[in-house]
Amino acid sequence: MGGITALEDVKVKLHKAIVEGDIEGAVESAKALVDADVDVLQIVSEVLAPAMKVVGEMYERGEYFIADLIASAEAFRQAFEDVLKPKLTSSRSGKGVVAVFGTVRGDIHELGKNIAKALFKAEGFEVIDLGVDVPPEKFAEAVEAYGAKVVGASALMTTTMVEQKKVVEELRRRGLRDKVVVVVGGAPVTEEWVKEVGADVCGDDAFKALKKVKELLGVV
Amino acid sequence: MPKPTLTILSRSEASEIHDKAVKLLSGVGVRFEDPEVARILLEAGSIEKGGRVLIPEELISEALKNVPKRLDLYDRDGRKVATLGEGALLFNPGSAAIKILDYGSKEPRNPTMEDLKNLVLLVENLDHIDAQSTALVPSDVPIEVKDAVRLYPILKYSRKPIVTGAFTVENLHIMLEMLKAVREDAWKRPFAIFDACPSPPLSWSRVTSRNVVDLAKAGVPSEIVSMPGLGGTAPATVAGAVVQHHAEVLSGVVLAQLVSKGAPVIYGGSPTLMHPRYGTVAIVAPESMLISIAYRDLAKYLDLPTHTYMGLSDAKLVDYQAGAEGAYSSLTAALSGFDVISGPGMLEFESVQSFEKLVLDNEVCGLVKRFARGFNLSVEELAIDVIEDVVLRKGGNFLLHPHTRRYVRKEVHIPNVWDATPRSRWGGRNAYEEAHEAVLKILKEGRRSELSDDVLKELNAVYERLWRKAGSTPIYV
Repeated sequence: MGGITALEDVKVKLHKAIVEGDIEGAVESAKALVDADVDVLQIVSEVLAPAMKVVGEMYERGEYFIADLIASAEAFRQAFEDVLKPKLTSSRSGKGVVAVFGTVRGDIHELGKNIAKALFKAEGFEVIDLGVDVPPEKFAEAVEAYGAKVVGASALMTTTMVEQKKVVEELRRRGLRDKVVVVVGGAPVTEEWVKEVGADVCGDDAFKALKKVKELLGVV
Repeated sequence: MPKPTLTILSRSEASEIHDKAVKLLSGVGVRFEDPEVARILLEAGSIEKGGRVLIPEELISEALKNVPKRLDLYDRDGRKVATLGEGALLFNPGSAAIKILDYGSKEPRNPTMEDLKNLVLLVENLDHIDAQSTALVPSDVPIEVKDAVRLYPILKYSRKPIVTGAFTVENLHIMLEMLKAVREDAWKRPFAIFDACPSPPLSWSRVTSRNVVDLAKAGVPSEIVSMPGLGGTAPATVAGAVVQHHAEVLSGVVLAQLVSKGAPVIYGGSPTLMHPRYGTVAIVAPESMLISIAYRDLAKYLDLPTHTYMGLSDAKLVDYQAGAEGAYSSLTAALSGFDVISGPGMLEFESVQSFEKLVLDNEVCGLVKRFARGFNLSVEELAIDVIEDVVLRKGGNFLLHPHTRRYVRKEVHIPNVWDATPRSRWGGRNAYEEAHEAVLKILKEGRRSELSDDVLKELNAVYERLWRKAGSTPIYV
């Protein structure tokens, strides 16, 4: 009992460290969890990703500045890249599969996209990162150029979500739609939205999305 | 003579910041992208450490002894305009905008050579805009000539002094040739100033450092425009940004003096706030302006001519924000006594010029210059006898007294576009609409200070060479 409570405390501490941009604290707590054999994917999905979501919301509300975002992103990066990723024992079932990720046109929020990118890479996917403010044609061109099987279009703002629909339309226009699994990601995305835009996977949670993508590709 | 002035640093505070900046230069040093420029400082006794040039204190104090404290600026036709170093308040359009905002439009567009010519004509006719600047970067010319072509319409149509700058090492020389084609003694009686910007923090690009070197060699005034971005490319504290700014400008002064003792240099700046939420470069944020006033005091401490970027706005339209930011920053510049003030006409983080805003800013410049002039306390102006005369003998009406007629023109500034009419004479237009009417009127019937045919021929020959070098046919405006 005591052990579990202690672990929960460390998770809370890690969450707090990420939100506050406390790099040392984040690394320390992440190490403690890894040392206690907590599953890495569980740490990311239960702590890191929700923490970054909080950070994004704080920025949107005007409570956080760019400097705060960068500190949190760096705390996330160091905890994830330096501590968690080396321990990631995945099936690497995505090996050899190319995924094209980007934040849609008009939107420059890339935290969510980067979390997904890290997860997919850890799973063995070859991720082509198109960056932010990516027009629909660029997604389609990258699919053609790299022979991608997965497209991840991220949007944080309700005002830019409509661009996700345009990405799907562009893929369809070029006859690529049925050759790829389309993930529409971002905090405002819902299952209804996925259906409406004609995508396949709801990426409001990167882990769920990864699981679903693997199922659809048949590489579980 | 009572004169409103704005200072922020005491002499001892200025001395303290100066010492800190000197320590920064000798301890952390400056990075020069161009090894040949670095060599100039190294050969003079600076020390290379980890790719940076550590500039010893002696070099800095030596340079400050040699740099001219006053600088006479002339117009194109050789008439003296002002002595820089004494708070000349020479307003000029903010440069170099990559877009122009048309009247009534919300979406800025790419400017052309024709727009540039119109801007030049506008400035030539606006009384309180004292100098031209190469304020628009034309989109309809090849990239190789974009900087130098901007001088052409100015030299051709205006006699006002010029604030400019080169985008490449090579084109500086052809720009100097253009100036010389217009007036042989362009350096002895200078009428152009060239901006050169360090790259914060504490480094110099190849182009701008070479510009400083070449300008010093030619004896042409260079304006060292440091541009710390508070919280991005400089500390988030005003004090920290000021120290860094001062160190960067000093490094430019040292470089110019090493190349040529007595090379004319202006202590300039374009400090900004990197907006904490949007990452935009807010130039008239109060924090940016505090940096400017502080370095103005540092320059005063060293007795150097000064420049700043004020009188502009970060708004996207010619709206309330644009007016408020333009006015409060212009007044700040005037009260601080800067010599050269770049900014009028400019919107949206130094990227968009608006003709209407330029006309409205001209009004502001007139107002703030009048305000900054203060007033006299002479016996004549105290007017005790006049008051006695009017009160005891003229029935209290000053309009009838000759003293009133004598002084009303001297003492009172009459705005032009600003509305002071009674409603019965008001034309029903707002300031923006009035400004647009003024723009149209100036472009139609304003003064053009054209060159004589002989001089124009000389200028055209250099201009032609510039274009041919880029493999293109010149656009004449």
